[in-house]
Amino acid sequence: MIYEIFHILILAGLVIAAALTFWFRDLLAAVLAAAFFSFLISLEFYILQAPDVAISQAAIGAGLSTAIFIIAIRATGRFEGGAP
Amino acid sequence: MSKLVRFAADILYPVVLIFGLYIVAHGHITPGGGFQGGAVIATGVALVIVAYSYKEVIGWIGKGGLMAREVIGLMGFIGVALFAFLFGMPFFYNYLAGQGGLFGVPVAFGPNPGELNTGGTVPLMNFAVGIEVWGGLSLVILYLLSGLIEKKDQEEEGS
Amino acid sequence: MRKAVTAIVLIALLITLVAMILPLTFGSPLMSDMDDYFIRFGQEQTGNNNECTAVVFDYRGFDTIGESTVLFTAVIGTGLMFRRLFGGEEVEDE
Repeated sequence: MIYEIFHILILAGLVIAAALTFWFRDLLAAVLAAAFFSFLISLEFYILQAPDVAISQAAIGAGLSTAIFIIAIRATGRFEGGAP
Repeated sequence: MSKLVRFAADILYPVVLIFGLYIVAHGHITPGGGFQGGAVIATGVALVIVAYSYKEVIGWIGKGGLMAREVIGLMGFIGVALFAFLFGMPFFYNYLAGQGGLFGVPVAFGPNPGELNTGGTVPLMNFAVGIEVWGGLSLVILYLLSGLIEKKDQEEEGS
Repeated sequence: MRKAVTAIVLIALLITLVAMILPLTFGSPLMSDMDDYFIRFGQEQTGNNNECTAVVFDYRGFDTIGESTVLFTAVIGTGLMFRRLFGGEEVEDE
């Protein structure tokens, strides 16, 4: 029972994080929402009994790609649309 | 960054390094492997790069070391696979498994406690791929950061 | 008009996906011959307790060589993009 509740909470969090990534105009907040999405999907992989994929998703999705996106935002502009 | 972040990075970097090497070395027993462990170590390197300034980090690490790590990893991986030709076996044959000696303890079918000295050529390939991913992903972040620093310098000179 | 068409297409796609997924049950794949072979003989043949690593590095080693080469090529491509910028070195073109 507690397993199903945890599972449904994580799936709902996935949808909410993906929608937030789409709706934010502040790109830094969008990147943080994407990192939260990666963290939740790594938990989901762990629940579905794929710890290998969970480790690589947590390291690359939540760690390295967030750093690369933040470097790209520093090099361009923080807000969407037009010059900063 | 501030002194607090630098202190936390100093404490966390050896821990992350040891955890990544643990994942690489135990890749044939517990979940994980070369790619996952290398990615974890590269995350630790990214933490240090974020905490300190670019010029300090490039003085410590250097581009040549990471590039050498990447090349050695890839060449070692292909070399371990090619080494099977010396024994008259096909490419990628696991010539060490079950033979005794280094990485050659035989494993029975079914659940068992696990022995580190098993796996044949798989642990060697794990180490090679781990070293390659460590160098490659760290080098990507360093390259991107060097572009950012150069853009800032150009803006300061231009204005 | 476009929004209505887009919404209808999306809803139809969603219903199709759900109808495709519903008959399947989690944990019992339709075809499992290869999985059964790996699970039965993987430990004795390769000496790995971790079946994922045995498949990735031993049975399917060519895929891992391709993956490593792709990563190497990606890093080399990034280096080519930022070659002039790294460390202030000027590299002459041919």
